Amino acid sequence: MEANDALSFEMVQQIGLALDMEHETFAAPKNIDIIIMIRLALISSSETAKIYAGLSTRLHRATWTVFAPLDSSDLSQALGSSAKITSPKDLFSKETDTFDAVVIDADSPAAESLANTALNLGKPVLIGAIGKWIVTIGEAKALLIPAHPWRFIPSIQAVRRSIDDGRLGSPGLLRIHRWHPSCPVKIPISERLIPDVDLACWLFDDTPDSVWSLKSAANEDYLQFHLGFANGGMAIIDLSASLPSGGDYYSLTMIGGTGAAYADDHHNMNLLYSGGQPNAIRTNQGRIELVQQLQEFVDVIDGKQEQSVYLADTRRALQVVEQILESANSSEVVKREGPK
Amino acid sequence: MGELKILRCGVFSVVKHDYLPRAVAAHSRFELVVVADDADQPDWVHERNQLFADEFNVPYVKDVSKAIAEYDLDLVAVSPQAERHCDLAVRAADAGLHVIADKPMSTRLSECDRLVDAVRRNNIKFLLWNRNYLPSVIQAKEAIDSGAIGRLQAIHVDFYFSKDAGPPKGTRQTSDPPIDWLKRQIDAHTDGSDGGVGVDPMGELQIEGIYPLGYIHLLTGENVHRVFARTTSHFHQANVDNNVDDLASVSLEIGKDIVGSLCIGRIGAASHPDIGEIKIHAIGSKGGLVITEARPEVSIYYRDQPPLEFKHERIANENDFLLMDNFARSIDTGIEPILNAQSGRDIAATVFASLESSKIGAPVEVIC
Repeated sequence: MEANDALSFEMVQQIGLALDMEHETFAAPKNIDIIIMIRLALISSSETAKIYAGLSTRLHRATWTVFAPLDSSDLSQALGSSAKITSPKDLFSKETDTFDAVVIDADSPAAESLANTALNLGKPVLIGAIGKWIVTIGEAKALLIPAHPWRFIPSIQAVRRSIDDGRLGSPGLLRIHRWHPSCPVKIPISERLIPDVDLACWLFDDTPDSVWSLKSAANEDYLQFHLGFANGGMAIIDLSASLPSGGDYYSLTMIGGTGAAYADDHHNMNLLYSGGQPNAIRTNQGRIELVQQLQEFVDVIDGKQEQSVYLADTRRALQVVEQILESANSSEVVKREGPK
Repeated sequence: MGELKILRCGVFSVVKHDYLPRAVAAHSRFELVVVADDADQPDWVHERNQLFADEFNVPYVKDVSKAIAEYDLDLVAVSPQAERHCDLAVRAADAGLHVIADKPMSTRLSECDRLVDAVRRNNIKFLLWNRNYLPSVIQAKEAIDSGAIGRLQAIHVDFYFSKDAGPPKGTRQTSDPPIDWLKRQIDAHTDGSDGGVGVDPMGELQIEGIYPLGYIHLLTGENVHRVFARTTSHFHQANVDNNVDDLASVSLEIGKDIVGSLCIGRIGAASHPDIGEIKIHAIGSKGGLVITEARPEVSIYYRDQPPLEFKHERIANENDFLLMDNFARSIDTGIEPILNAQSGRDIAATVFASLESSKIGAPVEVIC
């Protein structure tokens, strides 16, 4: 780990202010703990960078120091005024001393190459694009955490906690509906499947024994699949990307042996009256999942916690996605061969 | 304008919940005139029949043929043990009587077929009890029929009853005998968790599957062609001991290229504040629809509220009345009831195919 021991500019400012005030009104602190800040580099589009910029004050022991955009939009506010802007190429050649770890939120082909470069430099990487290359990547030269932000969504975290602390008993049935509006730029079905496949495997803490899936002859943007886990556990999930433009819908139900959890957008709708039939408006869960994920990345680098997402999780999800597509194309049940 | 005839109804056994004959009695077009059953039935059956007859101040006749011959019946309400549903219904149909039967239609598909034949042969009307007139289900039907979501492409129903069903799974000591299915059902009558009353053990798919599959049938107007299912005994020792499901998920291939699914379970009273999470999800070519079956409802909370009392009270539920209205109209005009014998049989075929699929771990064609 290359954690930098320099204080960020913001921290220097804050401590400086505190010291100034101390001369006038407060007793001098006996010790000022030097907080080690992890310096993060971000590689993403400028639009995505704006989202990450909004999270910066919520991160502990980390700060954005450099941004390598993948586009040429207006970058002035992309990651806050204090972050240096450079190209991805220069990031790994001229700026290696300005960051300790890299967050890559980019499409798969670019991400793969950038991640490998960072890893070869010994920089920890949190990578958002989890394509097939992750299946083949060997022993990484540094920490590589695949981004599974769906696991960090507040409602999903609540469901997971209710399983972990035994309130639900043994997981029995997971039901998910995920409906998106249709999009002119179609996301490959394999990518759309990964989050819910991973959630199913994660919540059952297992790999399915059998996979059955159905396509819709009337809707090419629809797929449903049925996973069988050990001890009778089952998951049945449908995904659609054919809603009219506008809102999406998500519902997750976990039925356990002694309890059940319902994380359903339907329960979180408020009403808007603006003429005609009222509109349902969903209460937003914010971007807490990105904060939580980033903080875990930082904490793992910092040695303060174990990572909760491993490459093996991503590989497992990708493998099950392949089985789902195989079943959909063959109309056969795909059963797992060999040991888990 | 002539008056409509009051239809005379016999109750052919009332050993399960009595909602069915009560719904008949509550409708102004119908009149209960007799309760009847076979003399060779066990004492507990006669006791329940007698109790109901006494409450409604009608005779209890331990001879079905005699009741048919002597009470000038127009129809019968059939609610015996599940394995007797079809037999009593066929005997009534063969006597030219219209029939309302409780669910499940039967524990055997061959019996369902026999009933369909009898209904056709005798040109009578048959209504299988269902929940298709619940306000939210009507709303779903209207939304789909109006074209609001375009052409229906996918439909999913979740049907979790949060009732208990005896001791939890894993609580039987090794020295204890397995739970006897019928005995437990008889004992469970007081708390209403005896949905599967009969000699043959039945899982949740068989007991309650008619309701969600009835929604799917109503909303699609199509039969299920093929199923893939998984079932398990996840909650209740009685289900474990009798090797029947209390949790199931079924992938459905339906007519007109519609796909869908059903999740069903008797998930235990702790798992929902009311009777259970029951929802319909539909996707069409122009949008989607998410329906909670329980609505409309009123929330009622108060000090010292019994823990098992539902916190949300369903209101404006006229399902029973509308079913009886539908059946009266069917008898009057000759239209088919909202869930007739053939549709009930096809739904039963879907249930049996699902059980077979779960057993063999492969998709199974539904024989319709």
